[in-house]
Amino acid sequence: MSRKLSSLFCLLVVLMMAVGVTTAQEPEEFTFTGWSLNEGLSRDVILGFANTYAETNGVTINPVAFPFNEYLNQVILQANGGQLSGLMQLDVAWMAPMAALGVLKDLGADVPEGVYTDAALASCQVDGVQYGLPWTTASIGMVANQELLTAAGVTELPTTIEEFEAALIALEAYNPEVIPYAGITDVAQLKDIIPWLYTFGGQVFADDGSVALGDEGSIAAVEWYASLLERNLIAADVDRFDARQLFAQGMVGFYDDAIVARSLAAGNKPADLELTVVPLPRPVLNEGDAPQSMLWGHCVGVVDDDKAAAATAFALHLTGTPEIGIAYFEQMSLPPTTIEALASDVVANDAYVSTWSNEVTAFATANPFWGFPESARMETLLGEAVQSVMVGDASAADALADAAEEITDLTQ
Amino acid sequence: MTDTTRTLDLPDMVTGTRNRTRDRLLLIGGFIVVAVFAFFPIYWMLVTSVTPRDQVFSFPPRLLPATITLEYYADFFNNPALLKYLLNSFIVAGSTAVSSVAIGVYAGYSFSKFRYTGRRALMFLILSAQMFPQTLLLITLYLLFAQIGLLNSYWALILSFTSFTLPLCVWMLKGYFDTLPDELIEAAKVDGASQLTIIHRILLPIARPALISTFLFAFIRGWNDFIYALTLGGADHMTLPPGLVLTYMGEFQTSWPNLMASSLIVSLPIVVLYIFMQRYIVAGLSSGAVKG
Repeated sequence: MSRKLSSLFCLLVVLMMAVGVTTAQEPEEFTFTGWSLNEGLSRDVILGFANTYAETNGVTINPVAFPFNEYLNQVILQANGGQLSGLMQLDVAWMAPMAALGVLKDLGADVPEGVYTDAALASCQVDGVQYGLPWTTASIGMVANQELLTAAGVTELPTTIEEFEAALIALEAYNPEVIPYAGITDVAQLKDIIPWLYTFGGQVFADDGSVALGDEGSIAAVEWYASLLERNLIAADVDRFDARQLFAQGMVGFYDDAIVARSLAAGNKPADLELTVVPLPRPVLNEGDAPQSMLWGHCVGVVDDDKAAAATAFALHLTGTPEIGIAYFEQMSLPPTTIEALASDVVANDAYVSTWSNEVTAFATANPFWGFPESARMETLLGEAVQSVMVGDASAADALADAAEEITDLTQ
Repeated sequence: MTDTTRTLDLPDMVTGTRNRTRDRLLLIGGFIVVAVFAFFPIYWMLVTSVTPRDQVFSFPPRLLPATITLEYYADFFNNPALLKYLLNSFIVAGSTAVSSVAIGVYAGYSFSKFRYTGRRALMFLILSAQMFPQTLLLITLYLLFAQIGLLNSYWALILSFTSFTLPLCVWMLKGYFDTLPDELIEAAKVDGASQLTIIHRILLPIARPALISTFLFAFIRGWNDFIYALTLGGADHMTLPPGLVLTYMGEFQTSWPNLMASSLIVSLPIVVLYIFMQRYIVAGLSSGAVKG
């Protein structure tokens, strides 16, 4: 009996040890949340990177995808419900609201020296804290349809506001059905006015942090923008989607977009339409001024929980490996963020990307509202103010003063 | 006198005929306007779904595509993820409809045929659940399901959809039961039938139109929902509306032909249900509307 009991005990011990070994050998498992994980080509590319990493490093990566337009709400809800874990793709515009939730890990100590560009790292910081690793960094800049400009007699890309207006007038005269400049006029995306405010010497926030909207430069910019509408040089109710589609149809001379404008136009244009997309620095008020553009990009954040170490390792691999950055660029046209990948022949020899990086992104500034959790509401207030000027409901001075007052309330 | 009458009658008859013709033309014109208003979006969906991608936004727009392709319909059936979402939609919408009707029958019968303290208050309490913005409830339900471990499951979707459909289902069925004579129930009682027998053997067969219209209402609610299905279901239990958006609407662009083809495909089950059950639906809705 005692022998039987001993045997049974030994068997139990062996079983428990086997279970223990099995548990110890279980691969580390974490979640990778993103909107690009279920979008067309990007899905295959990114999941390819993730699967290769998982196989090589013996980890399990669970992809979770939400549509881009719903993404921030879903991630915030997950964070508030304690369901968010692992690493996640983040738009640079969302860093502040995500940081405010208090779930993101400070990755400052994990960032290796000399791998990422300073500008890229800065795009994923909030108040100097590195809440994300830069995945792709570029800007919202201007592109032009080279064929249309040439046909309208515009042989040189405009560099000043004066030249820009002349080019728009030439395009309008060449074909009244063409929208010379598909600048955003839809109120939901009218934050695109900000680089124009800067171009005219205006500010959104003064150096002391107070709201500066309504200064001489911002009034001049909004009045100028409204005058473009009056002169039919821009069109009413245009959003980025409209601008892209019309541009791809050869019906737009200039418009503002991210660096992917070239590949979007190539994918949407009719087969028989010649369309050469050229980037250009935003025209300036006076020669010698810095051309303005808005920073744009994606970061990868990591939730500060027990999966953080494994998730951080993959985030560093995904964003900081030059070969992956180059492969991502080749397949997605999204510029890398590492110094080595940016210097590679593939990236450096692409004239379109080179112009964009050196002449547009080099001068890019972050959206001044991004630092505030209420940034979306602030952008809406600015957009509504500009719209009220464009439809003739208010003067630029009054509309911007009202917006400034409301934005000031949101900053406090 | 006779002559006078004749001269008065003829113009009246002509005027009357003209008025009738004018009324008929107005009626037909009205129908055409309403039909165009209702069906043009569907027509445009159809056109977009068979138009090659590079021609979708051709300018000026074309009412008939220059080239027709069916590849976007094939894409739907060749995408295993979408077929999984389709299956999820059937499971979630079907379960929502069954549970809504099952609970609604007993609640509706109780409200209609019994008199007890708090009955009216309870009826209006149930209806008041419809008055909360559902977006607000989403956050509460998300946190609740996360706490009890139901998040990312069919249960999360079925329970939340049922909670939204149930109030109206109860009222619809109550309205129908109100139209059934109490004498029918009394007669069954005299014959010794229990309450359950009365419901199952007598009332339910008669109430088939109401059951079908209620089922369809709940099914459509579960079939069409976007935000709850996206938030509570998780990747494995997501239904078609969020699944289609996730698959075809990206950060930079939307695959409109794919989206339109898929949307037409997924609307087919609802259309088929309506066509086959139209008679019952009209009867169910109108009978409940007469007496409430």
